[in-house]
Amino acid sequence: MKITCSSAELLAQLQTVARVASTRSAVQALSGVQVAATADAVELRATDMEVSLRVPLTADVERPGSAVLPARLTLDVVRALPAEQVTLELRPSDQDVEIASGAATFHIRTLRSEDFPPLPEPGGDAIVEVPAAAFVETVTRVARSASRDETRPILTGILVSASGRELRMVATDSYRLSVKETPLDRELAGSFEANVPARALQELVRLVPQGGEGDEEAVLRVGVRANQIVFETGGAILSSRLIDGQFPNFRQLLPDSYEHELRINGDEFTDVVRRISLLAQKNAPLRLAFREGEVTVSAQTPDVGEASETLPVAFTGEPFEIGFNPEFLRDGLESVDSGDLILKLISPLRPGLIESADGSGFLYLIMPIRLNV
Amino acid sequence: MRLIVARCEVRYTGRLNAVLPNALRLIMIKSDGSVMVHADTGGYKPQNWMTPPTVIEESEGRMVVRKLKGDDRLDIEISEIVSDVTHDMGEAAALEKDGVERDLQELLAEQPHWCGEGLRLVRREWPTDIGPVDLMCRDADDEWIAVEVKRVATIEAVEQLTRYLERIRQDPAMGACRGVLAAQTIKPQARTLAESRGIACVEVDLAVLRGEREPELTLFA
Repeated sequence: MKITCSSAELLAQLQTVARVASTRSAVQALSGVQVAATADAVELRATDMEVSLRVPLTADVERPGSAVLPARLTLDVVRALPAEQVTLELRPSDQDVEIASGAATFHIRTLRSEDFPPLPEPGGDAIVEVPAAAFVETVTRVARSASRDETRPILTGILVSASGRELRMVATDSYRLSVKETPLDRELAGSFEANVPARALQELVRLVPQGGEGDEEAVLRVGVRANQIVFETGGAILSSRLIDGQFPNFRQLLPDSYEHELRINGDEFTDVVRRISLLAQKNAPLRLAFREGEVTVSAQTPDVGEASETLPVAFTGEPFEIGFNPEFLRDGLESVDSGDLILKLISPLRPGLIESADGSGFLYLIMPIRLNV
Repeated sequence: MRLIVARCEVRYTGRLNAVLPNALRLIMIKSDGSVMVHADTGGYKPQNWMTPPTVIEESEGRMVVRKLKGDDRLDIEISEIVSDVTHDMGEAAALEKDGVERDLQELLAEQPHWCGEGLRLVRREWPTDIGPVDLMCRDADDEWIAVEVKRVATIEAVEQLTRYLERIRQDPAMGACRGVLAAQTIKPQARTLAESRGIACVEVDLAVLRGEREPELTLFA
């Protein structure tokens, strides 16, 4: 294999793909990036056996072939290259790859190519094309609620459902639940439902170009197989295994009715919660004390200090106090995005619901923390 | 328990040969025949030792410890005895570990609802021909539930409960018996295997079971 390409593009693509390379596998090749060159295309590939990523690289191919290079070291080397162009050449007899740029030459030993697994190919029977911007926005709104606790694998995923003119994602770690239902402009040509590892979807969010001209028209091609999902976007192919098992039925978790329903300025309330949370350390709860016409947000950490701030809200009825995990409450408020929000409460030990007042289809159900006093 | 503080040289012969040169050491001889030679440094581990059963022969300035079976042998040449005392230690009390399986089993037997909503205990140590199931319960619909209790649940615990369930379900009256694996910690692989076999997994908190702490509020179990 011998290719020549732009150092900057190689760095950009390496940075993208190296994130997926394994950092703790017993198989050394999985900590590497495979450079695969055919006569007319070059691809960089990485996998940790759960998530796999293939990204294209624009390069002149002098000799096709492939090699697996240690991801971290190669990234450091490419980041430090002195010239605009770089040539990568596999030297089979020395079991290394020569990286030459300007007057600098590096010889990096290759990892065992035969240990690097073949990555899933795109395509298949049922491809559903979903607007990329809507997909990314929906992931971003719910991802924070996905669990990071590997002992409950089902909760580390986001349940993605796409059918008709709606895209829905649900994530929960059992302390909070996020649901985002995004209406689509056009009817989808197919449907799917899959519990996809949140990590894979967060990588996908990084891959999808955002904010550029024409990006709103960009399409994500999604192929769901028996235990695998494959996304194609902008020439990159990200695949992930699916999580087996029954995802909690989110509809059953949503209370039928609430005692209090308050419309609050979301930005203002989020700012208050962010400020006061600074004094809710060491698992201390954030307290919301509701009285006629106002809510006082307070926090106290023994040996550190305390903080409080009062905000006008249209609360009526018997005063009551409810405690929340400050980080979880903040996550919910920040996921509402902007504008007014509706806060629905029942009692200090029952879940509270945050939803966007603009009817954008976002729900955040959060369990309180018991307050001792 | 006999404790000898003595200046001695210790020679071990058997699977290999080793010598501890003449120095001040503690020789510990337990009533079960264990012999350990300690220095004042080097951590908790003896410099040399012999596990029971042993035969100990003593003569002036010399002690020979031999394994009852085999050729292992400690020759202790004693040049000076600083102290030689024997204590009657009485009957040994076993190490009491907090949060062992029996504690968990007792607590869950008193509060079976932690293993599943509406569960009530039928019997602890429910006998099967391959061993007793920790808790046998019935749910609100009167269905049978076999609960295996572990401190840390591994794949082996899932296999064990699977074996019990196979035996229990041979009784036509208990053909629909379900399994619950209850533990303080459930290993991810064990949870995956259990769920693939339809066995429910429940992580329990000892402090909550003992009433020392209120359970965390969650949206679902």
